[in-house]
Amino acid sequence: MEWQRLREKAFTTTKEALAASVNDNHLIIQAVASMEDLDRTSNTLIKRLREWYSLYGPEFSHAVTDNEAFTRRVLEKSKQEQLQELQCKQSMGADLQEQDVQEMLALAGMIRAMHEERARLERYLETIMQRHCPNITAIAGPTIAARLLQEAGSLRQLAIIQASTIQMYGAEKALFRHLKTGAKPPKHGHIINHPLIAKAQAKDKGKIARALADKLSIAAKVDYFKGDPIGDELRKALEERFG
Amino acid sequence: MKPARFDNIYEEKAKKGMKLFTKSAYEDFRGFEEAIITKDDQQYREVDPERSKLFAAVAKGISQIGIREGSSVLYLGASHGYTASYCSDIIGKQGKILCVDVAPRVVRDLVFLCEKRDNMAPLLADCRQPETYKEFISENVDVVFQDIAQRDQVSIFLKNCDQFLKQGGFGLLAVKARSIDVTKKPALVFKQAYQELDKARSTVIVDKRELAPYEKDHVLFVVKKR
Repeated sequence: MEWQRLREKAFTTTKEALAASVNDNHLIIQAVASMEDLDRTSNTLIKRLREWYSLYGPEFSHAVTDNEAFTRRVLEKSKQEQLQELQCKQSMGADLQEQDVQEMLALAGMIRAMHEERARLERYLETIMQRHCPNITAIAGPTIAARLLQEAGSLRQLAIIQASTIQMYGAEKALFRHLKTGAKPPKHGHIINHPLIAKAQAKDKGKIARALADKLSIAAKVDYFKGDPIGDELRKALEERFG
Repeated sequence: MKPARFDNIYEEKAKKGMKLFTKSAYEDFRGFEEAIITKDDQQYREVDPERSKLFAAVAKGISQIGIREGSSVLYLGASHGYTASYCSDIIGKQGKILCVDVAPRVVRDLVFLCEKRDNMAPLLADCRQPETYKEFISENVDVVFQDIAQRDQVSIFLKNCDQFLKQGGFGLLAVKARSIDVTKKPALVFKQAYQELDKARSTVIVDKRELAPYEKDHVLFVVKKR
């Protein structure tokens, strides 16, 4: 029957087209989203671990504020060793049975695995970003550049939009609040994590954000249209001006 | 439960208004976590008019939808295939429906859906360019249904109707005011869409329905090919 034949053909063509539609943009977007998921989940779990472990050795959670370092020490050192290191004579923690402690350590092991996975993902993101869009990566670093790409949806879109949009990506909530109520406009979105902005004084942040977004916009165009590398040059110019 | 005004659509009194169902053409199909009622060995799938503009228009009492038992349908902007799957129920096993969408992500879901239903076919294509899928339409169809959120949705619709709709066939167009112009008042956008449709020589406007409260700032137009 005619319909059956056309239907088969539609399936074949569509499946081929779907397979061909996947590109680096999709891989980057999934990788950076996965990184965010890992951060969020491991933060939730580590809050639980700190609460839980504090029944046993509260001094520790108090002494080590860094989450990764805390997880590592819980796993690697016994309660006695840690108390000695902290020169703590009397612990507020309960003396728990081996079995009870093991469960906490199992959770800690999972959190450590997440931290390792996140580091691995970051390295992967760096390689794929270098391949797909070397210029914006040179200016903003793989993580921030990937976030911008995620917001835009594709490198093509990132190359088309204006610099001011790149500046605002990640600050949508504040931007629309500004437009709606006339509150103070945001100066920067994802690019706030860029070292140049992060270490700048408050009064300079807006100016640097504008300049940085401008250079990123230029770099995105070069990346999309496959021009000569320009990223390092642009970054140096920014560093000379603001660094 | 009693038959509604259209083929294979049924309605049942509920606490608030009417519940809508279609007579399931493919047994034991449940693709969208919808409620299924079995009566005399026949399954009926419940439709949520808030998720489907076609059925929102039915609930609002539209006079004609054109889709009948055995119809052939060109569905533009099928997305995940929610409404399309119910159209597939209405047309039954003798009908056929070609579901077109541009976005790879949703067409992926659509492929899985169509595999379960012999009268549906998926197609990844852009309805701005009818040439790219004309080879999949062997003869002109009874119904063109379009639900895409594009600025020039009315002219895309007319282009497709001109090319693929048979004489006396029906075209259904869901107009989303917010995607034509956010700054204009929806009523004004609808008026302009009406005028644009009215100007077209090949079709006449049969009916239109605002879809509130099921869908905000949407209108469904029904046109008939001269």
